[in-house]
Amino acid sequence: MTPPFERVLVANRGEIALRIIRAAHELGMEAVAVYSDADAMAAHVRAADAAVRLGPAAPAESYLRIDAIVEAALASGAQAVHPGYGFLSERAVFARAVEDAGLAFVGPPSATIAALGDKLAARRTARAVDVPHVPGTIEPAPVDRPDELEALLEAARAVGFPLLVKAAAGGGGRGMRRVVSADELPAALLAGSREAAAAFGDGAVYLEREIIPARHIEVQLLGDATGQIIALGERDCSTQRRHQKLIEEAPAPGLTEMERQDLHAMAIRLARAAGLRNAATVEFLYDRDRRFWFLEVNARLQVEHAVTELVSGVDIVREQFLLAGGAPLSPVVLAAADRAARPTSHAIEVRISAEDPARVFAPSPGQITRWVMPAGPRVRVDTAVEAGDRIPPEYDPLICKVIVHGTDRTAALAGLRRALDETEIGGVQTTLPLHRVMLGEPAFLDPAGLSTSWVDTHWDGAASRAAAVRVAAIAAGLADVEGAGPTGHPGPGTSPVSPAGGQPVRRESDGSAWRAAGRTRGTNRWPS
Amino acid sequence: MASCRPDARHEPVAVVSPSRLPPRRTSIAGPTGEPGWPDVAIHERAVRVRVAGASRLEGDASFRIAPAPDPAARLPGVGATMPALPLVDGVPATVRLERFGEVRARLVESGVDHGGPEVRTDVLLGLVRVDRAHGTRHREVIVNGWRIEVEIESERHAALRERARRGAGAVSPGGPIEVRAIIPGRIVAISVGAGDRVEAGQQILVVEAMKMQNELRAPREGAVERVGVAVGDTIEVGDLLVVIH
Repeated sequence: MTPPFERVLVANRGEIALRIIRAAHELGMEAVAVYSDADAMAAHVRAADAAVRLGPAAPAESYLRIDAIVEAALASGAQAVHPGYGFLSERAVFARAVEDAGLAFVGPPSATIAALGDKLAARRTARAVDVPHVPGTIEPAPVDRPDELEALLEAARAVGFPLLVKAAAGGGGRGMRRVVSADELPAALLAGSREAAAAFGDGAVYLEREIIPARHIEVQLLGDATGQIIALGERDCSTQRRHQKLIEEAPAPGLTEMERQDLHAMAIRLARAAGLRNAATVEFLYDRDRRFWFLEVNARLQVEHAVTELVSGVDIVREQFLLAGGAPLSPVVLAAADRAARPTSHAIEVRISAEDPARVFAPSPGQITRWVMPAGPRVRVDTAVEAGDRIPPEYDPLICKVIVHGTDRTAALAGLRRALDETEIGGVQTTLPLHRVMLGEPAFLDPAGLSTSWVDTHWDGAASRAAAVRVAAIAAGLADVEGAGPTGHPGPGTSPVSPAGGQPVRRESDGSAWRAAGRTRGTNRWPS
Repeated sequence: MASCRPDARHEPVAVVSPSRLPPRRTSIAGPTGEPGWPDVAIHERAVRVRVAGASRLEGDASFRIAPAPDPAARLPGVGATMPALPLVDGVPATVRLERFGEVRARLVESGVDHGGPEVRTDVLLGLVRVDRAHGTRHREVIVNGWRIEVEIESERHAALRERARRGAGAVSPGGPIEVRAIIPGRIVAISVGAGDRVEAGQQILVVEAMKMQNELRAPREGAVERVGVAVGDTIEVGDLLVVIH
C-alpha cells in the first residue's frame, strides 16, 4: 500500500506521541517528533526519525506553541500533523494554522473542531438535531459582571443544585467546579474561569445539572471526506475521579442491542450536523432510567481509544492517517461498524497516573526507580516511560495505560487483575493501588453498579495505605534485623558500607535495575 | 482573589515542620528502659521502623521489630518458654519474611493460633541508603502498589535520642513554623504578604502542578513572617514557601 504521506509531524509527547509514531512507521511513513527541554531524551524523541526542539518545559512555551509547531512541520518537510490528545488537539486555531500552511491536519477540519470543541456550540448543535443534552445553560456565564449576578442565580436555580460550572473549552475536569448552593456560585465561576483560562486560554464557563448516579458512555466515530460517518462502538468510562477517567472499557456492559443502535445513531446524527471527518468521540451520560444525555464531543483521538481498537479490530490511528490522506472509509472499518452493536469480545483499560490516591490524588512527579510492566496473553501496555525517567511536573500525570482483551468482561477482568499484579512501579506514587482495589469491588464487577461518583464517595485511600504501611514496615524491619538477602547490608551493630550518593550496588544493568539514581543514555535523535 | 476549589478534602501541597528541632544527643548510655523491652541481651538487634506521614489521618507510623531470638543465646529464665518468633512492638508475631534475592520478598503472616490461614503479601525492597549523620537507614518499599519510604533506626539509638529529646524540653507549640513544598510546580497566586494575619485554613498561595491548581492553606493562625516565593517561581520539593509566626 502506498503510504498516505511520506513524513508526518507528531505534535505531542508521552505515550500518545509514541503510539502515533508507531502507526506512522507501520504505514511506511517517517515521523518527526517535537519536544520541550524536559523531554529532550524522551522515548518519543528517540523513536522518531527526526526531532525538533520547541522551547522550555512550560507547555505555553513548547507544546502549545502553534507557530513553532507549524514551522517545525514545514522545516522538516512533513506533509501532515497529528495532534494526539490534550495540548493543541482541540484548538480550532491550530487546525486552521496547519491547514493554512498547506499541510493535512490529522483530525476533523478546523471548522468542525470549532463547532464541536466548543461545548456550548455543541450543545446548541445537539438541540438542533434532536439529541437530548444535559440540562443547563447554552450561553457563556458572565463571570465578572456583578450586575448580571441576579440573572445568573436565576438561571442556576432553574438548572438546579448541585450543579457543575464547566469550561466551554474544557476537558479532563479542568475548569470544572461543583456548586452545592447559590452562595458558592460566584466564587466557583471565578475559580473555574481562572483555571480554564490557564489551561485552555479561554475562560468561558457555563452551568450544567449534575446527573448522579450516572454512567459515562461514549461513542467512537470515524468519518471520511465524502461525508460518510460510522460508529466503531461505544466505551464505558464511568470510573472517574474528579471527572478524570480512571478505567475504561468496551463495549459498555449491560446495554441491549437496541440501546446500542440508538446511541450510535444519535452520535452519528450529531457528528453529521457538525460536518465531522476523521475521528471524534461523542460523550453521553446514562442515567438510572436508561436515558442518554449528550455531554460533549471530543473532536480528536481519545486516551482510551485502545479498548475500541481491541474489540473492533480497527487500528484507529492508522485509519486517521488514511482518512487524512483522502481515502474513503476502508472495508475493514465498514465491516467493524456493521458489527458494532453486537460486540463479541471485551477490553478494559486502566490509566496509571503519577498521583497519590491516599492524598486525594495529589500530583506525584519524580524519578522512576523501578518499572516492571505486565506481559503475557491479551495484555497491551501503552507507555513512554522506563526506569530512570523523571516524570516532569509540567505535564499530565498519566504514565502508562494497561489494556487487556478477553472473550467477555469476566475474562478481561481476570486478565487485567493478573496484569496489575505483575506491574511494579517505584519512585513515584501511582494510582495502581486504587485500580487493584477497584477490580475486586462488587460495584465495579456488577455493571449496574458503575457510576461516575463511585470513587469520590467510596474510595478510602488512607485505610488501604495504612494496611500496606504495616506490611512494609514489618518486612523492612525483618529484612534489616535478619540481615537477609544475598547482598543485603550487614545489619545493625556492624558498620554498614555507605552506597555513596545513593548509587546502588548492582552488577547487571538491565532496564529494570532498581536504581536510586537515573542513568545517562544516548539518543538517536537527528540533529535539528 | 483566588478562590477555593470545592473539594474540601484536597490535600495541602506542603508539609509543616517546627523551625526549631531538638538537638540530637547520643551520649547517654545504658539500657533502653522501654516498657515491653526488658531484655537488652535479646533485643539489642531490635530496630525502630518509621514511616513519616503514613497517611494524612494517621500522621507518622512507628513499629518496633526484633529478630527471633537465637535459642543458644537465650538468657536463663527467658528462653525456655519463648517460641522462636520475631517481635513486633514487643509481641511475638507469627510472621516470617521469605526472600527471593535482594529486591523481592514475601511477608507471610499466619493466624494468632498458628492454625489460621496464612496471608502472603508480596513486597519489593528498594536499595538501602545509609544516613550516617543521623544513624538511620532508608529504603523505598512497595506493597500492593503503595510506595512507602521507611526509616530504620536501631532501637537503642532511638531510645537514646528520645531520652535526649525529653531532656531538651518540648518544642514550643507557639514557635514559628515553616511551610515547605511537598510537590514541585509553579506558583500561580500568592494571597498573603509579610506581616499579614492569617486564620487556620486560610488560603496562602496556589501551586500549579500537572495542570491542576493546588491550594495551600495556613496550617494554623498567626502572622506571616516571611514569604519565600514569588508568583511565577518554579518550586521543588522542600522549598520554603512561607514562615508563620
